[in-house]
Amino acid sequence: MYAFNYHRPASLAEASAVLVANADAKFMAGGQTLLPAMKLRLANPSDLVDLVALRAELSGIRREGDRVVIGAMTRHGEIATSDVLLAAIPALAGMAAIVGDPAVRSRGTMGGSLANNDPAADYPAAALALGATIVTDRREIAADHYFLGLFETALEEGEIITAIAWPIPKRAGYEKFRNPASRYAMVGVFVAERADGAVRVTVTGAGASGVFRATDFETALTADFSSAALAGVAASPEGLNTDIHADAEYRAHLVGVMARRAVAAATA
Amino acid sequence: MPEQTHTRYGSNIGQPLTRREGLLKVTGSARFAADNHPEGMLYAALATSTIARGRVTFLDVAAAKAHPGVVDVIVPGNTPQLAFDPDDKDSPFTFRMDVLQNDRVRYANQAIAVVIGETLEAATEGAALLAPRYDVEPARMGLDGNETFVPPAVGVGEPPDIDNGGDVDAGLAGSAKRVDATYETPAQYHNAMEPHAIVAQWDGDKLTVDTPSQALTMGQGRIAQLFGIDPANILIRSPFLGGGFGSKALMKGPQILGIMAARRTGRPVKLVLRRDQMFGPVGHRAPTRQTVRMGTDDSGQIQAIHHHNHTATSSFDDFFEPAANLSHTLYAAPALKTTHTAVRLDTGTPLFMRAPGEASGSIALESAVDEMAEACGMDPLAFRLKNYAEVEPISGKPFSSKNLRECYEQGAAAFGWSKRAAAPRTMRDEAGLLVGWGMGTATFPALIFAADARATLKADGTGLVEIGAQDMGQGAWTALAQIAADGLGLDIDQVEFRMGSSDLPNGGIAGGSGHTATAGNAIHAAGGDVIAKLARLATDDQRSPLFGAGNAGVVARDGRLVRRDDESRGESYADILARAGLPALEGQGSAGADQDAQKRYAMHAHGAVFAEVKVDPELGQIRCTRLVGAFAAGRVINPRLVRSQYFGGMIWGVSFALHEEAVMDHRSGRPLNANLGEYHVPVNADIPSLEAILVDEKDSIINALGVKGVGEIGITGTAGAIANAVYHATGVRVRQAPIRLERLLGDLPLAAE
Repeated sequence: MYAFNYHRPASLAEASAVLVANADAKFMAGGQTLLPAMKLRLANPSDLVDLVALRAELSGIRREGDRVVIGAMTRHGEIATSDVLLAAIPALAGMAAIVGDPAVRSRGTMGGSLANNDPAADYPAAALALGATIVTDRREIAADHYFLGLFETALEEGEIITAIAWPIPKRAGYEKFRNPASRYAMVGVFVAERADGAVRVTVTGAGASGVFRATDFETALTADFSSAALAGVAASPEGLNTDIHADAEYRAHLVGVMARRAVAAATA
Repeated sequence: MPEQTHTRYGSNIGQPLTRREGLLKVTGSARFAADNHPEGMLYAALATSTIARGRVTFLDVAAAKAHPGVVDVIVPGNTPQLAFDPDDKDSPFTFRMDVLQNDRVRYANQAIAVVIGETLEAATEGAALLAPRYDVEPARMGLDGNETFVPPAVGVGEPPDIDNGGDVDAGLAGSAKRVDATYETPAQYHNAMEPHAIVAQWDGDKLTVDTPSQALTMGQGRIAQLFGIDPANILIRSPFLGGGFGSKALMKGPQILGIMAARRTGRPVKLVLRRDQMFGPVGHRAPTRQTVRMGTDDSGQIQAIHHHNHTATSSFDDFFEPAANLSHTLYAAPALKTTHTAVRLDTGTPLFMRAPGEASGSIALESAVDEMAEACGMDPLAFRLKNYAEVEPISGKPFSSKNLRECYEQGAAAFGWSKRAAAPRTMRDEAGLLVGWGMGTATFPALIFAADARATLKADGTGLVEIGAQDMGQGAWTALAQIAADGLGLDIDQVEFRMGSSDLPNGGIAGGSGHTATAGNAIHAAGGDVIAKLARLATDDQRSPLFGAGNAGVVARDGRLVRRDDESRGESYADILARAGLPALEGQGSAGADQDAQKRYAMHAHGAVFAEVKVDPELGQIRCTRLVGAFAAGRVINPRLVRSQYFGGMIWGVSFALHEEAVMDHRSGRPLNANLGEYHVPVNADIPSLEAILVDEKDSIINALGVKGVGEIGITGTAGAIANAVYHATGVRVRQAPIRLERLLGDLPLAAE
């Protein structure tokens, strides 16, 4: 392991200042992606800005009217078992319950995952489908404008996610086909019928540019929100990943199956 | 062997004892090689090549040396002088190794430097700072596009082409039904849980190493040869291995580099391979492309079999996976031929891995037999019984023993095979998953190697048995101690049993599933030797109640010698030794192949494996839900351990059929999945139900103990059984291992109906 500087700022302002002052600095929330990447030297930050001291300030799950607000430092395990969330958006709690493995869920955070925007991460699919709002130390960003590509987001230098606001849908469901070892999504599909009746179908793990909307599926479900309505709808392998785990054709096939199963879960 | 030699046994053999070192292992007290931390120890880290072929043109040694805590950097040109060129070969078991003798790179993950530090972190960072540059040459990868040749020999010294004298082409031409199918298996890497590790310390020209070894004496000889020292000056300690699978049978380059690092620094050095560094210098199973041509008459009787294997070796050494040779033993065929071809690739040299040849050959042959049975409209079990080999098909020799018929019967009954629907894709479970049942025949040669053992009776009547045997996790500490105790006619708790160290008598190798036969028979003979000496002391002594009984007239039991014809007359070991004034009495024993018996008999273990798989018709996702194996492998020393070995083998069969595959990048020559996150092996969740049936088999020809090997046979039969079950579930024949779900879906979505 190489030497790096470790910081544990006590406030958002300090955290942001440290990050901006050091060109190769990185924020660390739960560290479940960053630390393994550093061990493998896939990431070599000069400075690690650990946000753990902000956990009290930035974690918690509360209902605010027609939405649920989750602090950025809230851990997957806490999200999976939140009574508030289980009552309001069970599909999101269920998603958190199958992020990674128990060790990851006891350290990893929602804000960290969304800031990293791994193309196989789960939350991006939920955020884009439910129309979440990413709240930072300086503004609010709609999910539709937040995800910009592989590991790319609308976050600016030194900007810190403080909370995520989740509108409560009429119904929603998530199904993912997990890599048998890493448990990352080879394909994950989130379906939601929002409070205003709009239908969203989003796909993670498959797209060469990260999370995306499956608009053909949305059209079919808008007409009839049932898995039967998806019988004739197929995803195109165009733009999907091929890797050693599965090729684009198989991922396209999985999009269809996971979408049907997600609708079945949402309508169960 | 005369039956009466067995009357000496007490009650230890046959008992399902738990592993005697089990408590140490589950409490973390068992000391594996990398657990050793001698005073003043340094840490060595390998820098390894990121190319598969070319030359290293630059290493930033200055940067590495400047890093705090880095003590030394070994690169070509500053290695200790070797007494033997590591690129020379002087025996079939001497394989070339890469230990920084030049700047050539012959495969990815080859060592290109060793960085030694006061801490592992310092050494690791130093290795990263070397930032190598290369002259890159294109990597030669894959079974196609490279010059194909007939290897001079396959496996260990077997001819590449063998036949039984029958005319295969005529047999096929005259057959009523034919199968001609090609099966592919990928490169696989051993991936024992414990990586190769060494702690080396020099004291003058004496060397002590802690390193996992499946062959202590051979390893000692190899180190002695390379460093030009007396083998007696080398002590290798290897009390436990965290798995070997063949990759720890021979000393490998990284272990030699660890010894070099200790020599250069004059301090003890520890070197432990990282997981990714095990994908290169420590052996692997080569990919194969096998073609099986088979034909039968109208009744389903096989007329001819031709099994061809096209495989690969490295650019610089010879090891050829003898996959086709599995067909020598299983199915009767008037015309039988096996052939091999190969290419040279820029990989490390493939070596012995978990039934080398048998495992990859078995999935091809058993799949082809399944296809043949279907072509004949026969149940796969009935087809196998119809073509049962009463003598070894390739040689015509009788078997020393073969209870395969009983394996078929007992396995089929336990599995419920008779309820199998004949047509594929007709069975479903209550959740709508496709259900398939398949079977395969298991076989593995019963090997024995040379070994010596020493047995001592002490004045107090207890025993000491010593042999440089190796426990790879299979339970040798327990099974061999059971043999040792019975050889001395003592209870197991009255015998001190020592193994796992090279200063003990040569225990042979723990490989080829031959260790219990090898070490066990040496131990058995040593016990017999000391008991015979003791009997002579007593029967020649007028003061003994055994006087005049003669050696063969006494039995050793419970620490006493008693008259065979009157068991009330006897004397304790302690009394006999006391009267003779002896503090101890020592016996020697050895084991080795009986050349005469091997000329006359074919010697193999057999088994039958039945598999159930369930396939999600929408996803193609395959789960092996049930496995039943029935095996006949001679005498069972410890049924608990033997069952555990069968389980292990069957799980590796699941792994072969559904999981393991090293994906090679043909552009760079690097394995793309050199980690256990992406190189998949089964975990508990993948193995819902296992049953292993121990079928009685008595073999009085094979060796004095009557034991065959049980370590590797489980992988054979199983992989094919699963492949056949997947076909039975889906109606889709995937002739490529592992059977990946997208290969299964292909152009035929299972959910279409």
